Amino acid sequence: MNVDQLVREALQEQAAEQGGPRGDLVGRVLAGRRRRRARTLAGAALGTVAAVAVGVTALDIGDGDKDAHPASGPRADDVIAHPDQSVPRDFVAAGNVGMAGYSVSRDVPQGNGDELLVRSYFLLNPETRKYEKADAKWAWIAVAPGMRTAAVLEGELPARRIGMLDLRTGKVTRWITPGHRVAAVEWSPDGRRLVATAYRKNPDRKVAVPGNGSVSWPKHHGSRTGYLLIEAGSGHVGPFRDVPQPTPDKHGMFPGVSRQDVHFNHDGTRLYVQQYARQGRKSYRDWYTLNGGPTSAPAAEKHAGWPKAGLSPDGTYLADDGGPNGSAIRDPRTGEQVARVPSGEQLAWADNKRLVALACDPARCTGKDEHRNRLVLVTVGSKKTVPLTAVRTAPKGYERVWTPMLTAR
Amino acid sequence: MDAESQDRFREFVESRSAALLRTAVLLTGGDRHAAEDLLQNALVKAAGRWNRIDDPEAYVRRILYRQQVNRWRLKWPRREVAVAEPPERAGADTAAGAELRVVMRAALARLTPRQRSVLVLRYFEDLPEADVARILGCSVGTVRSTTHRSLARLRSLAPELAVLGPAVAEAAPSSDISPVEVRP
Repeated sequence: MNVDQLVREALQEQAAEQGGPRGDLVGRVLAGRRRRRARTLAGAALGTVAAVAVGVTALDIGDGDKDAHPASGPRADDVIAHPDQSVPRDFVAAGNVGMAGYSVSRDVPQGNGDELLVRSYFLLNPETRKYEKADAKWAWIAVAPGMRTAAVLEGELPARRIGMLDLRTGKVTRWITPGHRVAAVEWSPDGRRLVATAYRKNPDRKVAVPGNGSVSWPKHHGSRTGYLLIEAGSGHVGPFRDVPQPTPDKHGMFPGVSRQDVHFNHDGTRLYVQQYARQGRKSYRDWYTLNGGPTSAPAAEKHAGWPKAGLSPDGTYLADDGGPNGSAIRDPRTGEQVARVPSGEQLAWADNKRLVALACDPARCTGKDEHRNRLVLVTVGSKKTVPLTAVRTAPKGYERVWTPMLTAR
Repeated sequence: MDAESQDRFREFVESRSAALLRTAVLLTGGDRHAAEDLLQNALVKAAGRWNRIDDPEAYVRRILYRQQVNRWRLKWPRREVAVAEPPERAGADTAAGAELRVVMRAALARLTPRQRSVLVLRYFEDLPEADVARILGCSVGTVRSTTHRSLARLRSLAPELAVLGPAVAEAAPSSDISPVEVRP
């Protein structure tokens, strides 16, 4: 017998032993295709069509998507952690989410007594997989699911136009002029749309208001006018929707904070504005339809409050925020606590049971040092935390610690 | 994809997925999970071009091969596929065909994906060198030299194969040792 004959026989024998694929392969493929198209639409804003790995996003769009997972278990790069980096240098990711970048804010006093909050952004370079400082002209950056495109606003907000930034080249490939000045843009979970929140004044600028006598101090103001939905692929801007902030009270005091942006909900079918806890009421959300009218909370999100993570991808759990001693995971329909996780601030679901969160350093976590925290991965039903970074510190030249920007990878 | 196309796609997958998975398992050196991922990715690509594909099976197979070779080239250069155990020595009765096939299978799993892909195309699919070159997007000379090197590598991985005679491909090694060029 020759070696090539044995190769042939061994291959034939191995092939003959295989059964068919497991489960609903067609369903998984078609769901993966829908997901891929959603990403491509986001990428199409750049005029690029990039290959996208299957099953990397956990977004429920319709029937079958719940089965849109990789054919086999966790991905090879399921957790990419750098627990030695207090300021991230290298790509951090867990499950379906990755850290597209981070921002650092600072308050800059202005000559007229105003105070301006300025953000500096550091974005992932897709080639080197390291974080690099973004151009200082960007006042706002929102990275799309897939981490190939970002929507950017320039100059002092509110901005007249929205740029589509190719994260590989650092170039803006399209400008969208919505017709209203906007100070925030956010991507829908499927990356097909943007919601842009319009303001008359910069919500990051606290305005000096004369106080008693000659004393002035910068205060919040309410200048939000509404929002617009924008199709990312075509750049089509939908009609302006009027959602103003409350007016100042009889004493001229504005109830709340200047920046109250419009956000997409869990599945991108409704919009909400987060309201801070006040007057004994927990934080809550004001809900709107995509057409601009007020509406009630979706059944699965009626207990959703401040935590950005919100509902798990399969809708089983609702993340709540807690403190240095941990946080509650709730039944989304009843609001009852069903589990606890050993983290304080829940940022994003990595999959149906795992959360990327901020948790205080256990060595120093005495119940009061909650701001000395690090990015971690926690699992519902487990007390274990997986550090993704070291305890956060301020980047060189800054006073405040960095804020992670998480999105579907 | 409209409803009619979706029905045709479903019919294709249901009728051909078992055969395609067999090829994928061979390409991944027996790693069933990696094979299912490989096939699923290839089918997602096929679904995206479904109405423009004349021969779906040939298209999916080409994607399987190129994807496997590309994935290796892009992410794990110069790395071999790891297996839990080294090829077992067959002992004194190495002439027994079944034992030799076990040895051969373990050795195949330790080849690079590129080497294994060429052998699967040549000896499992029984394709001529020109067709292998077309599928992988490389020259015939590269196919010939890769085949020769792969067979030599099998012999070095499994000394038990010394009892076998040389393959035709081993008898006339090519001087073309240019690297495989694969276009996505």
